Amino acid sequence: MNIDKKTQKYDRQLRLWQASGQAALENSKVCLINGTATGCEILKDLVLPGIGSFTVVDKKEVDGADAGISFFLDEDRIGTNRAQAVTELLQELNEDVRGFYLAEDPISLIENRLDYFLQFTIVIATDIPEKPLLKLSEALWNANIPLFIVRTIGFIGYFRIVQPEHTVVETHPDSIMDLRLDVPFPALEQYAKTFDFDSMDNMDHGHIPYVVILLKYLDQWKKDHDGKLPCTSAEKKQFKQIIESGRRNVDEENFAEALANAWRAFTATKVPHQVQEIFNDPACETLTANSSSFWILARAIRDFVANEGQGLLPLAGSVPDMKADTSTYVSLQTIYRQKAKAEIAIVRSHVNKILNSIGRTSDFIHDDEIDSFCKHAAFIQVIRYRSLKEEYISDPKKADIDRWLQDPQDNIVHYVLIRAIDKFYEANNRYPDAATFFIEGDPEEATEESKSEFELLKTYVNILLSEWQITNIPDHLDDYIHEICRAGGSELPNMASLLGGLVSQEVIKLITRQYIPLNNTSIFDGIKSASSTYIL
Amino acid sequence: MMAATLMQTDVPTPEDSDSSKKVWPGRWSHINKILDRRGPFCDKSFSPGHGEDILLNQCRVLVIGAGGLGCEILKNLALSGFKDIEVIDMDTIDVSNLNRQFLFRPADVGSPKAKVAAEFIMKRVAGVKVSYYHGKIQDKDDDYYLGFHLIICGLDSVEARRWINATLVNIAQDDPERIRVLIDGGTEGFKGQARVIIPTVTSCYECSLDMLNKQTAFPICTIANTPRLPEHCIEWASVIQWPKEREGEKMDTDDPTHIQWLYDVALKRAMEFNITGVTYSLTQGVVKNIIPAIASTNAIIAAACCNEAFKIVTTSQPYLNNYMMYIGNEGVYTYTFEHQKKDDCPVCGNQSAFLDVDKEITVEDFIELLKEKPTIQLKKPSLTTDTNEKIYWQSPPFFEQRTRPNLEKRLSELVKDSGTIIVTDSTLPISLNVTVSYV
Repeated sequence: MNIDKKTQKYDRQLRLWQASGQAALENSKVCLINGTATGCEILKDLVLPGIGSFTVVDKKEVDGADAGISFFLDEDRIGTNRAQAVTELLQELNEDVRGFYLAEDPISLIENRLDYFLQFTIVIATDIPEKPLLKLSEALWNANIPLFIVRTIGFIGYFRIVQPEHTVVETHPDSIMDLRLDVPFPALEQYAKTFDFDSMDNMDHGHIPYVVILLKYLDQWKKDHDGKLPCTSAEKKQFKQIIESGRRNVDEENFAEALANAWRAFTATKVPHQVQEIFNDPACETLTANSSSFWILARAIRDFVANEGQGLLPLAGSVPDMKADTSTYVSLQTIYRQKAKAEIAIVRSHVNKILNSIGRTSDFIHDDEIDSFCKHAAFIQVIRYRSLKEEYISDPKKADIDRWLQDPQDNIVHYVLIRAIDKFYEANNRYPDAATFFIEGDPEEATEESKSEFELLKTYVNILLSEWQITNIPDHLDDYIHEICRAGGSELPNMASLLGGLVSQEVIKLITRQYIPLNNTSIFDGIKSASSTYIL
Repeated sequence: MMAATLMQTDVPTPEDSDSSKKVWPGRWSHINKILDRRGPFCDKSFSPGHGEDILLNQCRVLVIGAGGLGCEILKNLALSGFKDIEVIDMDTIDVSNLNRQFLFRPADVGSPKAKVAAEFIMKRVAGVKVSYYHGKIQDKDDDYYLGFHLIICGLDSVEARRWINATLVNIAQDDPERIRVLIDGGTEGFKGQARVIIPTVTSCYECSLDMLNKQTAFPICTIANTPRLPEHCIEWASVIQWPKEREGEKMDTDDPTHIQWLYDVALKRAMEFNITGVTYSLTQGVVKNIIPAIASTNAIIAAACCNEAFKIVTTSQPYLNNYMMYIGNEGVYTYTFEHQKKDDCPVCGNQSAFLDVDKEITVEDFIELLKEKPTIQLKKPSLTTDTNEKIYWQSPPFFEQRTRPNLEKRLSELVKDSGTIIVTDSTLPISLNVTVSYV
């Protein structure tokens, strides 16, 4: 077997998202609006792992300031189109990625040719004012295309994910443990019964898998307690003592494992709450020809739980490593795997029934998709996002913002400032930009001009707060108004790069449909070096 | 001879960059907004209008590691206005680096990372000087490290981090003038951390040793007798079969024919035992102890480190005190906190560590205990009493032979109750006092 060049190149990331995630990346088309330093850093971290293609939309001419902060510009490119310049240098990062640019004004594109953006898998907007952003976000929302809104100003970074819904099967939990100790299936029960502990020599006794040890003692316990599991803490303690008394010597690691895992035997196997909620979701209830494979599978699993599963999810089918000799361990593994396989076959029949009822053929959902869904059934996730219109206009999170804002350590203050400078920008066509904070001994001191810049921004902050009916205005807001005036709309290379990393990570999660993405806003404060997440 | 000498020496800028290209109108305008203006969170010592001066002319920074973090760190420093940078790295470029180490291209595979990275940065960012050293950090002495104002580490090795940390703490001992700030970044998959270490003042790398995840080690009897996992079969191929079947030959985990051999042997064993899951990729992962690495996490952690460097040098904002943990697999999560200095830290503490040990414990078992203990984790501990009697020394061979008979003795024969043992390790510049109580 030979490993091809591409597998070698991507080895360190394939260990995180496997070939299926990589294929999704390689089929994706990413659009960046404005080739800012932050935007280029995001693309860098997406071109390197190998997205299919990227397109930069930007009409700006590169100026000295742009060339100073971006690694994907240099002095020679000053005066040229920024989209073209950054595309050339980003393209060099990976020969497997195609780079495109459109030297047009993104805002007029949003106003006149909104459809242009609907060809992409994901759109990332940097440096776009509120009004066009709302328009763009609505169009993408209706087309189910995720939008990332990204801002860096001075030491503050902000980004927001906007899309209607995101579903994940491969959430990558720390471990998938599904042993069914409290409700052993017949084959497992039978297998445990074949072990006669007392007649075993010490070698064999020290290699009984802990699953069997727990099943054996639990079976005995249930017989003695009207079929009930150990419930009170006294009972749990007593159960552990019984296991302990079966241990021949302290060196028996398998008994130590049984004791350490005894809590699993007391924990009832059931459908987790968040999965039950997914089952109850209207999207699971009413399937149509447009339903995604996720919802069809969720429904098939629901039907399985209600019927053959007798209230339980399909078995995950994996067994953790445990002290055992090889053949015992392999037999145990086989028992779990076979049961899982049989259940997958039942789920397949539910899937086919559903597909048939909505007028689709059974090849719409492949077997490996069903395998993976059954294996991860207890960990599936649905995230419903709020639209930008809800956040900005129809349903702002006034009460939450008010509450968070009262804590001087909370990062929500940066959100307030970012929204306020958008209003400032809309009215003045520039960002607040002045030294406004002085102490004795500084070479300069406060002037009328600097005081008025501070007051002007403060006006917009107050307008915003009154729109949100926040009357209790905390003192610490002033410090952050000074800080934003100081930043003057600047992009610092470190913050651009940090946001580039955060945003690209979330883009990768959405494209690969693996791991759990942010919902919905992240703010990084580079002064304190701390981030916060908000649902706004 | 000449070529070899050149490899081992610091290589300065090939040509001093054309000074006319250093500054163009507006080049520093973004950064200067911060440096020319005071903010409410600035340190009192911040002096508006002087930042560029400090960055451009007065600060020498050392970057340790030119890998995933190192490439990012070099780029960030250069764009932030740092002008005098040196980078150390002992590795050469591998094809599996290209998914994140963005200063390297397929044609660079096989070349020294430090050299290619330094040259790329100088080519792209006008006016910055990046010198490089292709070799080990252990090759350099105290004076070398004292020649920098700041040291940023982007390493993937715990050993190298412990070494530089202990070296910088030793240098700073008793003389605050010799304190050199260490900023350390590390990543693993979607997780990472950035921290600021002010030697002798804040907690140091060694203080937090017990926060490291312990590597899974498979018991040799499982590997030999009762394999259950594909990993057990791979370990069998590399630990047991390689020395047996290819005696005397050194295993090179970068050699694909060696990995192929291990894979074939492991697969055969797995089939014998009905174990599934042995793949070429897993074989490589197990024998090379591969840690997943992606561009995005490296970007986040490197930027966090450089942001701290920028704040510390310019005093334009308060800096991190002293630890930021990052977890990115479920949303975006950071935890920023002050990691506490340990009084009994083997490197920066001034107190003995107290250990309760069985009164029957042998010197050999005591040494095993020191290797295993999460707060100590020494590779080759040597023991001396506080009255300077050697208990057991790992090297030089002469002392090793002379003290070897002590291994079987009970520790209590050599050290009285509440006595103190000085523990040293030839691989690290540290010395730890351990006071033992027999129970």
